[in-house]
Amino acid sequence: MQDELVDPKLVEELLSFSRNVADAPKLVPAPNEITLESTPYDVVYEYDKMRLLHYKPLVEKQIKTPLLISYAIINRFHILDIQPSKSWVRKLLENGIDVYMIDWGSPSNIDKYLDFDDYVNMYMDDCIDYIRKEAQVENISLQGYCTGGTISTIYAALHPEKVRNLIVTAPVIDGWKDTTVVSNVGKHIDVDNLVNTIGNMPPEFMYYCFSILKPFEQGLEKYYKFFKNIHDKEFVDSFLRVEKWLSDTPPIPGELFRQWIRDIYQENLLVQNKMYVGGKQVDLTKISMPIFVQVAVGDHLVSPECSMPIYYAVSSEDKVMRVYPIGHVGMIASSFSQKQILPELCQWIKERS
Amino acid sequence: MSQDVKQPLDYFKHASLFWTDLLHLMSGKPIALTSVGPMRNWANDMKKITTEMMDANEDITEFNQRLTDYYKQLTETWIESQKKVNAKIPTIPQDVEHLEAYKRVWIDIFENDFTQLFDSEEFGQNYGKLVSAELELTKHWENITNVILNSMKLPTRKEIDDVYKELHELRKRITKLEKNDEKKNAR
Repeated sequence: MQDELVDPKLVEELLSFSRNVADAPKLVPAPNEITLESTPYDVVYEYDKMRLLHYKPLVEKQIKTPLLISYAIINRFHILDIQPSKSWVRKLLENGIDVYMIDWGSPSNIDKYLDFDDYVNMYMDDCIDYIRKEAQVENISLQGYCTGGTISTIYAALHPEKVRNLIVTAPVIDGWKDTTVVSNVGKHIDVDNLVNTIGNMPPEFMYYCFSILKPFEQGLEKYYKFFKNIHDKEFVDSFLRVEKWLSDTPPIPGELFRQWIRDIYQENLLVQNKMYVGGKQVDLTKISMPIFVQVAVGDHLVSPECSMPIYYAVSSEDKVMRVYPIGHVGMIASSFSQKQILPELCQWIKERS
Repeated sequence: MSQDVKQPLDYFKHASLFWTDLLHLMSGKPIALTSVGPMRNWANDMKKITTEMMDANEDITEFNQRLTDYYKQLTETWIESQKKVNAKIPTIPQDVEHLEAYKRVWIDIFENDFTQLFDSEEFGQNYGKLVSAELELTKHWENITNVILNSMKLPTRKEIDDVYKELHELRKRITKLEKNDEKKNAR
């Protein structure tokens, strides 16, 4: 009978956890009270809901070629500047790189007809023309993250003369090789019926896709850890920032979503050089500028097998691919990215600017 | 007509439409004498809404079937995962260290099995059909809303979409014209 008694430490653990839950509102701010932007910037160009952000330099000596970062179409750009100690943008600025960022904004019903042609040949092209004029350069460095990597790849193939260096970070390229659960859902939905019926892809659909990615680790364990570590200010701050970013999911324009799912996940046209954007064929062999491909082994949103084919599809002679032992978000917002990924990237950009 | 009606639902639908139509015809002339606008269309609109609701019933059956299959997949996976956990650690530990280890094993097994489920062809197919069934219900709701909007002399979803499309094409044309203009001025 003695053996079946509950360990007093366990009781203490449960009581301590309950106290943490009760104390949480007194110890931490509500997610809505947190500001995600940490590095100052100017909005230098706007068109429709899209904004071009220009970050203020942090060092005096600047390299000549500016860098434009294209964030993904899922969630917002804030993850690249989520907090000073893990900011992708800040590290680039500290290395003398002139950083611009595209904020795609939050599309509404009126934007349902926006497609890849608009994102690539209108919004991104306008931004790049603006930067070229402002910096007085012929071409710029372009970095794309996730689906922003897909958009950047398409842009570089259609407008190679305006891109000096291309950096793609976990880009969605070869949909058939993607082994993630998101791609499985994408491959089986009737995307035409979906877009024709509801227009823009609502945030709820994206939340569903997030919920089936590691549901127990992400859905239960991480909240347990949050309350357990409620007195650890750094941990809590970092946790809430990422949670707030995760919950800020704008709708995806219907036509853009249709083309993304159909042409990349279902018919896999991009990697076969059969995708058409704005009536023009996207030929990846037209990408001949230096290219840096960044892939994460633990990526459960865009599997490495989906991103890596870009390295082999382009005609660039100067090309580098790095595979990092981290996940999709960790690649751009973690201590690891600050120590390992960004120093390597900054060096690569400097040598080619 | 009764020979064609095989299913109870079909018969119910037919009988409802028959009486709605007949009453509409019978009441049409007296109403026309006393009304000049919205009331004249009321009976017709009600008929459209009734038809949509009856058609929606059939799609609800399909939706329920897909939803049942969806939850069945989740439940079966849950049961199998729990069996694996039980086989590995038969009793729930009562001390902190072992309980932590138990939790880790539980999460790892469940995570692995559910990821396999979400990654499977069967799950993908059923989920695709579940979404399609939900979209069919959405279309019925939209059709009903359109009848109401039309009765209020407000634009329907399709009419608004046409305006959005026109605006989108206009914006594209203007951007192209502006870019061409810039190029000409730069020369």
